[in-house]
Amino acid sequence: MHAIEVHNLSHHYNGRTIYQDLTFSVREGSICGLLGKNGQGKTTLVNILMGFLEPAGGHCLVLGEKAHDLSPATRRRIGLLHEGHLAYAFMTIDQTHRFFQGCYPGWKSDLFYHLVDKMGLPRSQRIGTMSCGQRSQVVLGTIMAQNPDLLILDDYSMGLDAGYRRLFLDVLHDFAAQGQKTIFVTSHIIQDLEQLVDTLIFLDRGEILHTSLDAFMTNFHHYVFHQTGPVELPKDELIINCEQRGNKITFFSWAGTDAVQQHLADLGIPAPDLRRLPMTLEDGFIGLMGKY
Amino acid sequence: MIRALLFKEWLKIRWFWAAALAIHVAIFLRIFFDIRGRIGAEHAEMVWYQTVHLGTLLYSDIRYLPLLTGLVLAAAQFIPEILGRRLRLTLHLPMHRDSMLLICLAAGLSGLLSLCFLSAVSIPLILAKTFPIPVALSSLPTMLPWILAGVLAYLGGVTLLLETTWPRRVLLIFVFSILIALHYSGRGYGWLTPALPWLIALAPLFLAAVFESGRRFRQRGA
Repeated sequence: MHAIEVHNLSHHYNGRTIYQDLTFSVREGSICGLLGKNGQGKTTLVNILMGFLEPAGGHCLVLGEKAHDLSPATRRRIGLLHEGHLAYAFMTIDQTHRFFQGCYPGWKSDLFYHLVDKMGLPRSQRIGTMSCGQRSQVVLGTIMAQNPDLLILDDYSMGLDAGYRRLFLDVLHDFAAQGQKTIFVTSHIIQDLEQLVDTLIFLDRGEILHTSLDAFMTNFHHYVFHQTGPVELPKDELIINCEQRGNKITFFSWAGTDAVQQHLADLGIPAPDLRRLPMTLEDGFIGLMGKY
Repeated sequence: MIRALLFKEWLKIRWFWAAALAIHVAIFLRIFFDIRGRIGAEHAEMVWYQTVHLGTLLYSDIRYLPLLTGLVLAAAQFIPEILGRRLRLTLHLPMHRDSMLLICLAAGLSGLLSLCFLSAVSIPLILAKTFPIPVALSSLPTMLPWILAGVLAYLGGVTLLLETTWPRRVLLIFVFSILIALHYSGRGYGWLTPALPWLIALAPLFLAAVFESGRRFRQRGA
């Protein structure tokens, strides 16, 4: 069973194609990270999934229902964090609690106040007067207290310092540990996702790469070797995103060391000291997508 | 859920509603003292002649009050939702989206109509202190088009705020301005009384405009 299914999705914006025939699914109970550089359509995809935007073609199912026509019962099962930690700025903490408690029958007041009281703010404080981090904590409390089956987090880390990001991750880990809870998350802080997700979707110019985190970290490699003169490494099916700094040349590849060594030899580039570098998810992201 | 939504709408409009209430009461007092002052300064017969024969409205100060109140309440309710696209929060709530919009409108219209009701009670009472009951009651059909203009201003304001494209916004401003101006045509007591059934029937039709803009707002990225 899939929590999210996207079939042949196409979308255009101002004459630019954002996606063309995009197809993927997110398994129930998984934690899926959607990664892509700025402007690749991550937020647009979240907006389409939540029915705020009608795609030009294809269709999406969220918890088995058409995304553009989600029933209230299904919306109740989805905790949605909007980009920028959208919240009702005119409400206080207590008013936020009172309002959402009236909207969600399964609302968990204890959980809401447990997360919000960590900030030590008076419950009469208006959200509009809070810092971005404080507001994010109220939003997190609001979403978690709904006890959703599916969490969709659109760039949860935006504007948060390391402490608030870590707090967010702790809560998400606890949430995922309950089992059969699905998280679909986008973030610019990729090293955070490495600790959280089990599945990755890389979005680049309307194309996607869908893989498990383990498979990506195992099969995608970061290489380095040294050369005294300038080297022109071609970008081909084995060599991805090459970079030269001084005599140090780094590149990425899906191929193993032997295959890469042979490929370089075939190209007439000696690389006797070729070796694999330890790679973080952020390294891998840059290696796969490029810096800009 | 309905109570929660009404609570949210009340939080947005309460200070504006309270300010509007204070302004209404201040204007009622001004009208009351103005009538007393006129009778003190002029002969009562002269005031009667001006009011009944010349059709001078002694309460024209409230003429544009429902219109302004409607616009202010529409802005108070929907600007916080439009800013930063916070309407998405509301649209994600577990309730049918048209029902949610209807409840929001009901909250705003209740705020507006409660103040209009206050006018509809206060002005005849103020007039009844000085004039015969038929003259006092004649204020009701005179004020009704102004109240309907307030309802139209409220619905037009909401429609305009939810609308996403400028050509439609300009068209909406044009249409609502003409319709509102129609409610202010003519002067004197009960000028539009013969047209009142049509004007009353017309006002709810503009709910459709709000829902159409709301639908377009959702489909164009909310």
